[in-house]
Amino acid sequence: MRLRRLLRASAAVLVLVAAACGGGSGGGTGDITLLVPSYSDHTKPYWTDLISRFERANPGSHVRLEVQSWDDINDVVRTRVQGGQAPDILNIDAFAAFAKDDLLYRADEVASPATLTDLQDGFRANAGIDGTQYAFPLIASTRTLFYNRDLFARAGIAAPPKTWADLLADGKKISALGGGVYGYGMPLGREEAQAETSIWTFGAGGDWVRDGKITVDTPENLAGVRQLQTMVRENATQPDPGATNRTPLLNVFIQGKLGMIEGLVVTPGQIRAKNPALRWGTAPIPTRDGRPVTLGVADHLMAFRNDGSQQATVRKFVDFVYDRDNYVRFVRTEGFIPTTKSGAGAMTGDPRLADFLATLPNAKFYPSTNTAWSATQGAIQSLIGQVAQGKEPAAVLAEIQRRADDASR
Amino acid sequence: MRRSLAALPCLAPCLGLIGGVVLFPAGYMVYTSFRRISEFGVDTGPAGLGNFVAVFGRAELPRVLANTAVWVAGVVGLTLVLSLALGQFLHQRFPGRRAVRLALVVPWAASVVMTSTVFVYGLDPFYGIITHALVDVGLADPGTGPLKTPLSAFLWAMGVGVFVSVPFTTYVVLAGLATIPRDILEAATMDGAGRLAAYRSVVFPMLRPALAVAAIINVINVFNSLPILRTMTGALPGYDADTTTSLTFKLIQADRQVDTASALSVVNFLVIAAVIAGYLRVARPMRED
Repeated sequence: MRLRRLLRASAAVLVLVAAACGGGSGGGTGDITLLVPSYSDHTKPYWTDLISRFERANPGSHVRLEVQSWDDINDVVRTRVQGGQAPDILNIDAFAAFAKDDLLYRADEVASPATLTDLQDGFRANAGIDGTQYAFPLIASTRTLFYNRDLFARAGIAAPPKTWADLLADGKKISALGGGVYGYGMPLGREEAQAETSIWTFGAGGDWVRDGKITVDTPENLAGVRQLQTMVRENATQPDPGATNRTPLLNVFIQGKLGMIEGLVVTPGQIRAKNPALRWGTAPIPTRDGRPVTLGVADHLMAFRNDGSQQATVRKFVDFVYDRDNYVRFVRTEGFIPTTKSGAGAMTGDPRLADFLATLPNAKFYPSTNTAWSATQGAIQSLIGQVAQGKEPAAVLAEIQRRADDASR
Repeated sequence: MRRSLAALPCLAPCLGLIGGVVLFPAGYMVYTSFRRISEFGVDTGPAGLGNFVAVFGRAELPRVLANTAVWVAGVVGLTLVLSLALGQFLHQRFPGRRAVRLALVVPWAASVVMTSTVFVYGLDPFYGIITHALVDVGLADPGTGPLKTPLSAFLWAMGVGVFVSVPFTTYVVLAGLATIPRDILEAATMDGAGRLAAYRSVVFPMLRPALAVAAIINVINVFNSLPILRTMTGALPGYDADTTTSLTFKLIQADRQVDTASALSVVNFLVIAAVIAGYLRVARPMRED
């Protein structure tokens, strides 16, 4: 017992010591910290290499890299910011709440005019609040419908569905094959329910924001969510979509047990790595009336003000990241869509991007510049799956709207 | 008095540790529960009782409180019953007893997140080995996993809670059994007590203090347990399989409300204090009679 107590005490001391030594945005000027999410196994080697070249080119500068998984990075950032230990540079999806708390540099304070004007205008407009740019779009992704050619052949489906009616019919046909095979993979679990939901609400012509106000409970969004419930009710999806997370379900598709699923620009690479024998195809996302729309996602780079002593180094590093060659290498490494003009120019004709670049003009994005969006997204993640369990769509949307309104105040 | 003062330098590191690791965070939590905190922890002023109003205004709270009661009473109760039986069994001499006793440590030594994750994979609808077995013997429908509906997921999570709590409790029972002198049992037998009677009026009363310790530690642990529910029921929509502890976590992670979560934590703390005070008062486990 005494040994246990001793062990516990020493463990506590270790934690204290580690907490005291860890964190901190570096010592002298020229020391900056960089926190990035892990997009793939290539993420860490890419940044490590970039940083060592940056340090060679800029003697006296040091960049400390921290890589976190997507599951954890939001918690890590929150804890760091609460503890006054924000990273100098952060790569993450949403920036609006940081800007609202006045934690970020303006974009023009930490990047050269050349870097700023090279950003594509559409993405750049989505990286600011009220006309002031706070973040740098780093990569983008859109979704398309992935389908299993073998299952389509077995179910006698000639072409991928274009409208919801086709999708419902095809999903039912494939689910009817039986043997653990299901038509449409619908991940409404907490992991990324907001993405699947957006695909349906956008498909009905809906949107999450109007005149700067979060709009969840609208007729169009309701139509999208009702259709989603119809898919579940008529067994066109896998069982229990409300509790199914995206990553495991994508693996089920890769194993060949799902007829269709919405995939990202990185999905083909995952299929090649995990099950190259899968015969798959991809097509634009089916919508209510066949009008093309897709969900676009852009991740951003942003610089925290902290004590303001590192501005010069941060600026040099941001310009270095967006240097044309460095940037193209990054986008190629991760397999995403570029957000700079020079990057897009260098990558036109890349066959891996062709299907996704074609959908970009029809992409709708999350209203991530709205400060109430992250709470709204959390509410969608927590609640929307109940629709698949049979709860009335209007009631669920009303509850999400209520939380969005709370967060807007 | 002087002697106590002289002991102070020796106690100082310990007191510092308790202050820094226990008292300060607890105090800070109470302080935060009365502040308005932005999504990223920036303090934007006093909130009065606003955070507590927000907690009690949440529609899911009654269900979550009921879940919490079932979770704590169910897991701790079942753990104690199983551990009493298991302790009695392991107290007997039989070949291989040492190996069995050691094997019992495994669920205790393994990380709870890991144990829960093993169950999550085992119960997966598509490739879970437990699901397959359940389907083969006709206890489940193919294509659906036990963790996909709130009630069944919650019951499975309780099962895992019992699984990871039994080892510690059994060891406490074993330690208690070892303190019962043989001659008292022999005297009881001489006086004509059967096995059941001897257990009821000799062994069990002497186990009371040990059981009290086990019960209180388990109540605290189980009440505050996040990893099992987070891992096993975390993908479920809504709050039908949540306890107050996992709700606190969801308030921070999904709703981004650090302040409301602090208020709920304070409520949590008061509830657990009340439960333990009540237990000590009603069961009076420490009495010596």
